[in-house]
Amino acid sequence: MSAPEVLLQAGALAVDRARSRVLHDVAMELRAGEALAVVGPNAAGKSTLVQALAGLLPAAAGEVRLAGRPLGEWPRDARARTLALVTSREEGLDSLSVGDRVALGRYPHRGPFQPYVAEDDAAVARALARTGIAHLAARRLGTLSAGERQLTTLARGLAQEPRVLLLDEPAAHLDVGHQLQLFRTLDEVRRTGVGVLAVIHDLARAAAWAERMLLLHEGRIAADGAPDAVLASAAAGRAFGVKIRGHAVPGVKGALYSFEPEPPG
Amino acid sequence: MTRDRARLVVPLLLVALALALLLATAKGSVPLPFRGVVGALLAKLGLPGDASSLGATGETILFTVRLPRVLLAALVGGGLAVVGTVLQAVFRNPLADAGLLGVGSGAALGAVLAVHFGLASTVFFALPLAAFAGAMTAVLAVYFIAGTTGRSGLHGLLLTGIAVSALAGAMTSVMLVATEEFRVKTVLFWLAGGLEGRGWTHVQAGAAFVLTGAALLLLLARPLDVLSLGEEEAASLGLPVRATRLGLLGLASLVAGACTAVAGAVPFVGLMAPHALRPLVGPLSRRLLPAAFLGGALLVVLADLGARALSTRFELPLGALTAFVGAPYFLAALRANEGRG
Repeated sequence: MSAPEVLLQAGALAVDRARSRVLHDVAMELRAGEALAVVGPNAAGKSTLVQALAGLLPAAAGEVRLAGRPLGEWPRDARARTLALVTSREEGLDSLSVGDRVALGRYPHRGPFQPYVAEDDAAVARALARTGIAHLAARRLGTLSAGERQLTTLARGLAQEPRVLLLDEPAAHLDVGHQLQLFRTLDEVRRTGVGVLAVIHDLARAAAWAERMLLLHEGRIAADGAPDAVLASAAAGRAFGVKIRGHAVPGVKGALYSFEPEPPG
Repeated sequence: MTRDRARLVVPLLLVALALALLLATAKGSVPLPFRGVVGALLAKLGLPGDASSLGATGETILFTVRLPRVLLAALVGGGLAVVGTVLQAVFRNPLADAGLLGVGSGAALGAVLAVHFGLASTVFFALPLAAFAGAMTAVLAVYFIAGTTGRSGLHGLLLTGIAVSALAGAMTSVMLVATEEFRVKTVLFWLAGGLEGRGWTHVQAGAAFVLTGAALLLLLARPLDVLSLGEEEAASLGLPVRATRLGLLGLASLVAGACTAVAGAVPFVGLMAPHALRPLVGPLSRRLLPAAFLGGALLVVLADLGARALSTRFELPLGALTAFVGAPYFLAALRANEGRG
């Protein structure tokens, strides 16, 4: 069987923010159905990378290709039908209902004027069910917990029915139960062939979920590979300034990690 | 609040507005009989109606004084409420108002210039035209300055709006001081906001801008909702954020400018109507815009009626009345404001 199609690809990508370069020479790819975690210390350029991959920040050098076509050549609506971005910086109005919020994810499919059709209602219902928040559909955003709000944003992204899903700290506000729910949802989505890239702060969580891990440090890719190998690398220790150790525990899938301060000197 | 109850809001507002319009048309320094008013209106529309109980004087009062004034109140109220709805969504702030873009202060400066140079008393309709031109100049200045200083984001627009408003306010003060005393009162009356002596020309001008603008804004309801999710999410959904915002704020400025030009400053209507109705019909613009239009119209028709009813020796300015109601409402809303609407 040949490897799944490359959906998103960056080559020699550089991105500037407020006239200073925050990403240098980034090369990466995301395949259909893949789970790719992006990790790195604060200010490593993770959010910038996600925004550039989503086409919201221009490339100062290099390029991003979505399904083989340069991102800049995509019409906005077609791009938003193919690639969805979910962040923890959402700003929906408190009085907006969960159902109406998720339905706005159908905007790229219907544009400003076409009325929503049964297909849109079905996509919204599927997104609500998949994120486990169907029972909240009539609730207003202002009455939700931070975790429920976060799942609502994810449901909006799923309602777009994209082929690529980019997430920036999707688990930021979630308790452990909601975190497991979130990553289970992402795995279900991956099984339908969607490529999922997620910036994840919690290294252990990232290693447990991802098939591949990208380590960003000072705006450059410092390591790219299997999560265990990336976390065991010297680059990871350097990036975070800590000693990372993986421990195999019988009965637990994947390694467990411990973190210790790097001895001075 | 269930959807079914939310659906009742617009029909209820329609009925209330119709009753308020009728009441406001009949009441005044010369009271007109309801039956006569209804009969005359029906007859005017070519329907069977009997206006005989009005008499010739009553009919003249109805058609040249009362009716244009009441209709203009509805248009101005509806227009300001639509503007408030749009600005509250664009700025994602449930307490936003047309004042943010410099419309009011620009219009005031235009009006005082027209009066200062004597145009207002010699050229027909010069004052509203000058006020409108002033409002548009202020809005364009806000955009231009915000754009060239690289601050065309929401925050930049907001801060530039405050600065331009302050500048226009200062220029208005200077012009007022430099204006001959007998003319100052004209400006003061206009600044206070009111509908006294407005005729069909005002109604036509107001209707052209308000109804066209409101219809176009309703057409853009979905992009407005997407924009209210915030810049990043809206852009990720494929919305051209800058262009959409420019279009929406441009239309809102035209409507607000027209309202201010024909009625002077009528504060707090644009804030109150959408803010009060959002909990009932939800924030989706498709539902909130029509409800807010009707709510704002109702509010100003009643406020104008109140201004006339409370007046004895002099007429209470309409703008003062809406401020007397609106300022406490605003403070209460500030206290209760649980977040971002």
